[in-house]
Amino acid sequence: MKKPSLRHSALLSSVLVSLVAGVSATGASAETFRWASNTDPQTMDPHAVNSAPVLSFLNNVYEGLVRRGEAMAIEPSLATSWEPLVGKNGWRFHLRKNVTFQDGAAFTAEDVLFSYQRASSEAADVRSWFAPVADVKVVDEYTIDFVTKAPNPLFPDSIANFMILDKGWAEKNNAALPASDAENFATMNVNGTGPFVLSSRDPGVKTVLKPYSGWWDTATHNVTEAVFTPIGNPATGIAALLSGEIDFIQPIPLQDAKQVESRKGFKILEGEETRVIMFGFGHEHEKLLYSSDVKDANPFKDPRVRLAASHAINMASIDRVLFRGKIEAASQLVPAGISGYSEENAARHEYDPKRSKELLAEAGYPNGFSFGLKCTNDRYINDEALCRAAASMLSAVGLKAKLSTGPVRDYWTQLRADDFDMYLLGWSPGTFDMEHPIRFLLHSQDDVKKLGSWNFGNYSNARVDELLPLIQQEINPTNRQNLIDEVVSISQKEAAYIPLYTQPLIWATKENVDMTQRADNFFLLRWVTVN
Amino acid sequence: MFYFIYKRLIQSVFVMLAVAFLAFSLFRFVGDPITQMTGVETSVVDQERLREELGLNDPFISQFGRFTVDMLQGDFGYSFRTRQPVAEMIASRIPATLELGVVALLISLVVGIPAGVYTALRPRGVITQTILMTTLIGISIPTFVIGIMLIFLFGVQLGWLPTFGRGETVNIGFWESSFFSIDGWRALILPAVTLGVYQLTLTMRLVRAQMMDVMRSDYIRFATARGVPMRQLYFRHALANTMVPVITIIGLQFGGVIAFSIVTESVFQWPGMGLLFLESIRFVDIPVMGVYLVVIAFFFVVVNLLVDLLYVAIDPRLRV
Repeated sequence: MKKPSLRHSALLSSVLVSLVAGVSATGASAETFRWASNTDPQTMDPHAVNSAPVLSFLNNVYEGLVRRGEAMAIEPSLATSWEPLVGKNGWRFHLRKNVTFQDGAAFTAEDVLFSYQRASSEAADVRSWFAPVADVKVVDEYTIDFVTKAPNPLFPDSIANFMILDKGWAEKNNAALPASDAENFATMNVNGTGPFVLSSRDPGVKTVLKPYSGWWDTATHNVTEAVFTPIGNPATGIAALLSGEIDFIQPIPLQDAKQVESRKGFKILEGEETRVIMFGFGHEHEKLLYSSDVKDANPFKDPRVRLAASHAINMASIDRVLFRGKIEAASQLVPAGISGYSEENAARHEYDPKRSKELLAEAGYPNGFSFGLKCTNDRYINDEALCRAAASMLSAVGLKAKLSTGPVRDYWTQLRADDFDMYLLGWSPGTFDMEHPIRFLLHSQDDVKKLGSWNFGNYSNARVDELLPLIQQEINPTNRQNLIDEVVSISQKEAAYIPLYTQPLIWATKENVDMTQRADNFFLLRWVTVN
Repeated sequence: MFYFIYKRLIQSVFVMLAVAFLAFSLFRFVGDPITQMTGVETSVVDQERLREELGLNDPFISQFGRFTVDMLQGDFGYSFRTRQPVAEMIASRIPATLELGVVALLISLVVGIPAGVYTALRPRGVITQTILMTTLIGISIPTFVIGIMLIFLFGVQLGWLPTFGRGETVNIGFWESSFFSIDGWRALILPAVTLGVYQLTLTMRLVRAQMMDVMRSDYIRFATARGVPMRQLYFRHALANTMVPVITIIGLQFGGVIAFSIVTESVFQWPGMGLLFLESIRFVDIPVMGVYLVVIAFFFVVVNLLVDLLYVAIDPRLRV
């Protein structure tokens, strides 16, 4: 690639001078870092959409009070320190001084308050982060209090992606609220405090970032310009990397990892995502929907039947055959290393088809029964193949799974409409704490309290429901872990879900590029070094 | 003549309405836009509120009615996914698709017509057989496979041509063009060949069949007998008479080239309308899908009209 020469532009304007309103050329210089991913961030507004592509991308531009480091732990960002409030519930944040937004405005507590109001408004998709917040008070220019309704030890962790906008900038440009129907100024323009500024944006085609020279932190990257291109087709993405047109791509299909590795000048970054893949059941359904033999009952109401299903899955062979040995089997709804992970319950139900058959016989189904298994075919790595394999393993013990797969775009609708007997789900804990899946997947459905919203089968256990608020409010780490251990132990004994494995994370880059692969699949330019 | 055009344009409105109606009746089965627009942590209550705001709970007829009325007033709505105006999004993608389609068409004509003439005149030659065999293979392999094969050969192995995107583009007013830079042309070659292969084969076989037919007709024999030079005979008399059916088919196919550039655009990450449509399906972006389909329908109508007008220009008999 080279810059358009003067000769071209001159020729152009002479030929087309009568037609042309304004002639401009887009090109690129040589010292740029180019990367691709499969999804374009829908918007540049950090409060409008709570999705990984948007938050990952905007973390290069905007910053929060706290941020996550390479190992996912939170560290000071726009707040230098924070401590629990004395005498009431909540947290006090001490803000960093001498921070300026990219347009030159100074960063103060007013901006934090404004961003809180914006991000917790009805038009904001990220407002659920602020459900525990009762009030936000500016103490002085560089101190702000977040008062919570109940003790909330995890609050600072839960707002790592809450990004701060400049009040003056947003109000001046009529972007005081996130765009809900039509776009607004913040959909296409940014003004953050972060290490990169947006230099141009063509949605779905190309987005260019340049380093922000006034960034408060010391830049450790050596990127002078970063060009992002979404490439939806995985084969095209691999070709673009191998031909040298891009320097880095995330993620790549598992089956292509070998091909990239075998080429000189390229490398693979492999890790574990925090997403646990699992099967769920229609706990509250009165009868099976897709059975040809058991029509008036739902055997999955019986924990023994669910345990039978769990013991029927041979994870070792799924790992070997489908995932080339790249996955880690899961025992619970979060992988090891996430805070709140229950070490006590680290053993998963072992593969034991004999035990499965015994359990089924005990439950009154010695010959098994047939039922419907719903899966996605474009959401998780190898999801369809996984379900095929699992269905045949389940059938081997008598649980005759009739598999139906479909794209994710209408999958959640079907699950919400209770149109399943058993289903596939992947869950990544947004707060990187065990409390997250307990709140969304194990607590009974409760629309008013906004709990259990992804508990499609409505698994319901009174003790779990009782434990969740205790876990949310417990300050003492040992006591908190004991409470969590109890929930995990209940969910394992009752086989509320069948946790299968942690989804692998595979990125590919040129050999001369160093970067950090974070477990949430976020890619941050500030950790990139091109050698 | 003007009445003819006028009548056709009126018809086109009905075609577009019918397409919009069909599209809207299918959208319900594409999926749920709300779950694609919101994050996992968004509460069910907030999702419902959004659904209500966007009018997704309204009956199908009133959603369709609103879409049609807004469109007739020139309001194309806003994308669910990016919240940008749909008209702007589609307009910005039209140049890429049209340029790709036109170059693909040119490739198919410039290669297809001479090849068709040659294979008609030397039906038993070795070269003819080779050409016929190769194009048969070309037409039997799906477009995306051809695309990926070309990418891996010329992009990855040989490193001659870019593997994705439009390369360097030049803005002429609103029109973003690849025609004015070497880089832009290099980026065009592979996708245009991929998209044009099918057309090329079709054009060649059509020209060949027509040409063989014409060469057997009486006036060619008489012309041969009169001693008309062979070159003039082939290209002036014979070829000109094969053009009417060829233009019909090619013209009609051009609509198809534009509509089916979706596959090629996806393989080459070519930022045209087709790629936008694919992304919109993935995110159940109903306003974009609806407008795209209507625009494509309009395109088909216009191409058909142009073909009809071209007839008159080419065939003097129709002018009487």
